[in-house]
Amino acid sequence: MVTTGAFDGERPLHPAGEQVLLAAFERGWADPNGLGGASAQARHLLNAAREEIAGHLGVSGSEIEFWGEPALISPIALQGAPNFHSGKFIVGQTERQEILALAHDSPSSVQLNVNHTGLLDRDRLIEEIESNSTIAIQAANGETGVRQPLPDFSSIVGAMNAHLHLDFTASGPLIPLPTYWSTADFPAKSWDGPSGIGIMLINKNQRWAYPFSRATNRRSPESYSLPLVLAAAAALTGWLKDANQESDRIRNLISMMRQVISRTIPEVDIAGSGNKEESLPHILSISALNISGERLVNALAKEGFAVASGSACVASAIEPSHVLQAMGILTHGNLRISLMHGVLESDVKRFLALLPGIITQLRSEDGA
Amino acid sequence: MSDGAEREVLDCIGALCPTPIIQLSKAMKSLESGTKLILRADDPATKSDLFAWSRLTGNQVSVIDETSFEIVKA
Repeated sequence: MVTTGAFDGERPLHPAGEQVLLAAFERGWADPNGLGGASAQARHLLNAAREEIAGHLGVSGSEIEFWGEPALISPIALQGAPNFHSGKFIVGQTERQEILALAHDSPSSVQLNVNHTGLLDRDRLIEEIESNSTIAIQAANGETGVRQPLPDFSSIVGAMNAHLHLDFTASGPLIPLPTYWSTADFPAKSWDGPSGIGIMLINKNQRWAYPFSRATNRRSPESYSLPLVLAAAAALTGWLKDANQESDRIRNLISMMRQVISRTIPEVDIAGSGNKEESLPHILSISALNISGERLVNALAKEGFAVASGSACVASAIEPSHVLQAMGILTHGNLRISLMHGVLESDVKRFLALLPGIITQLRSEDGA
Repeated sequence: MSDGAEREVLDCIGALCPTPIIQLSKAMKSLESGTKLILRADDPATKSDLFAWSRLTGNQVSVIDETSFEIVKA
């Protein structure tokens, strides 16, 4: 399904997942841990979904834990690392707020700066890392689309045998797991799967314990919904098929947007280098000087475009975006553009034709 | 100020982002190159946005304290 003018990253459930979800809820699946034929069938479907997802992510089924509250996956994966409470906790400046909050509460945390293009300070990581450290790295940032060099960081952390947690919330399986990793976070929303389900990966060769009951073999609350797991697996298979056909086309559209915006709009910051190895194919973040992000979003909405903004005046936050601040990019006048599979090139061109005029008009109204 | 010269002061205390930056851009229009101005602003975004503004416009910014900044028109 293509939604015209929807550039705000709010993507509908993939049709393959929707189909499975409706059928699953209709049948009211039994508890996969129970006895009897219905439970046995539920168990069989759960295992099949687990193997389907594992195959796509390049892991074994035993390394997958399903979570009904995806936002908790990264914080809990980190707190289950063997030395989280005794060793250094190393995080990037542009991590999600809940991870930065964990770092704030940690007795021994280190924040890695990012450079102007959003890449983490590699030298500082090498300087700070110890064998009992816990390191949290986003594969890519959801606000800017900046992608970190995971193979390189994986080698650095692997050489110390420290705990490496990777967050794939923004990229989903667009970025492959590197050679060395300990735990990982994949919300199903990252591949247009359903909300309310996510996957924690726990490397079978690494030590990890569920922080709320270390004495048992349990590794999650096991409170997930089976229909959501089945829908997530089906959505992943369908989404990857689409991504094979769409990623290059969408990357070219984003690249065209970068070029046209930098040519046609003065005094604008575009986040990241835009290089293929350093960016997601579908996200673009721009900030226009002397404009309120809220007014810009509203003006675009009148033209039929739904676009998100990281500016404080739009994001219901008092503080400006810590990601844009860390990169030294303007925090006001921000637009976060996310192109979904099936986006129409004609929509992108219409957007690019309208944007310079809208920005000129808004600047002129403010006398700037 | 170290040279004792009087500066125009743009007081944006209490104004929220991006108003201080917009007011500053407007004020700069009437200034000659090399003229100095003091901006006073306490919105948490202003400090980082001022350095981005400086990079994009070529005007110079230096921090006097957490809420006061000296601007030199390019």
